[in-house]
Amino acid sequence: MADRDPLPLVPAEADDPALVARLTALYAATPLPPEGQAEQCARAVLARAMHQPVRAADGVPRIRWWWGAAAAAILVLGVRITTTRDRTGVPAPATATPELAGTVTPTRAGLRFEIQLPDAAQQVALVGDFNGWSASATPMVRRGPQGGWAAEIPLTPGRHEYAFVVDGRRWVIDPLAPQVPDAGFGPSNAVVVEGGSE
Amino acid sequence: MPAPAVLWLVAGLLGAPMASAVHDTTTAAPDAVRDAVRDSVPGQQPPVFDASRFDSLTAVGLRVLLDSATAEGIPTGPLINRALEGAARRVPGARILQVVRAHAVALVQAREALGPGTPVMELDAGATALRAGVDSRSLVAIRGTRAAGAAMIPIVVLTDIVQRGIPAVTARDAVTTIARQPASDDLLKGLQLTVARNAVRGPGMAADALARYLRGTVNGVLPSSAPATTDRKPIRPPVP
Repeated sequence: MADRDPLPLVPAEADDPALVARLTALYAATPLPPEGQAEQCARAVLARAMHQPVRAADGVPRIRWWWGAAAAAILVLGVRITTTRDRTGVPAPATATPELAGTVTPTRAGLRFEIQLPDAAQQVALVGDFNGWSASATPMVRRGPQGGWAAEIPLTPGRHEYAFVVDGRRWVIDPLAPQVPDAGFGPSNAVVVEGGSE
Repeated sequence: MPAPAVLWLVAGLLGAPMASAVHDTTTAAPDAVRDAVRDSVPGQQPPVFDASRFDSLTAVGLRVLLDSATAEGIPTGPLINRALEGAARRVPGARILQVVRAHAVALVQAREALGPGTPVMELDAGATALRAGVDSRSLVAIRGTRAAGAAMIPIVVLTDIVQRGIPAVTARDAVTTIARQPASDDLLKGLQLTVARNAVRGPGMAADALARYLRGTVNGVLPSSAPATTDRKPIRPPVP
């Protein structure tokens, strides 16, 4: 006990030196704790620190390691759902075949207009500036049960506007063909340039 | 007083010679060979004003408009086509008159931009382009790349891609860049198809496809107004 350096329990300038001397003597007479008590105390403090509540003392939530994992999982799920929805065609990707598909191909006799209609049509006509926009002038022929219609007409070189009239009332055009703006009559028309311009 | 009533009065004052003049300009047949070609090829026949497809008031108003166009030197074929299209779509007569008159004004502007000697079909394409939002300077720029009669496809492609959402200046730069190359009609048609296929995904995707197509076509020559593309690697913003 002699090598023990007692802590200064009271400042040196205390008024009662007798009391100071008595307290110092009492502290010096206190026996040392057993060897394992310090280790036991340290373990208790450490275990308490590891099971702190979520909120710290100042009210700010403590950051937990599993928060990052949960955020990553939600991100992966979100990306996966979005990708799956794109693959189903909504919105349609650029390479998807449009529901309404048409082609204009040059032939020996002129131009062959073809259109694929997704719904069942009873009659389809080709109208344009080459036939006075008359729905009865150039009827199209059904190509089979798949909704294909075709018409072949001779056309002079130059620019021609055209459209398809389905069942005498619905005007449709090939969505990929060159288009002209609506003149004020309704849906746009398509354009074909026969023979090129160079 | 409504516009059709005014046209009716004007038509009544002018009388029958005006109508016959319009008829003469649209149905004149120069020679027998041309008649034979017309009979065999429907597209060769110039549009004929068929008054029976309109109500009487609209027919008279159209005759007045066509007569005015003839006096101004504007081709009447595109105007008659517009009127026939309106009749086929069963549009009210007042609307037909409005559209035909607007197209006549656009034809005048297109003639000023494309210059004298421009074929009728090319003038019609230019007027349609103006209606789509293309400005006159773009038509002048196209005329600078192609001579009269050879600018049909550039104008058609320009009209289409502007209508599909490409900014007018970007579209003009792209079309004129390609049109300067020799034998570039097929390239322009490819540009139109590329933009059309990507436009269903939005104007941004169409603009991106246009820039890619242009890079691949013109060996790295990019117009100054080419849009930013999404093929760049994303740049991480600085951490504050």
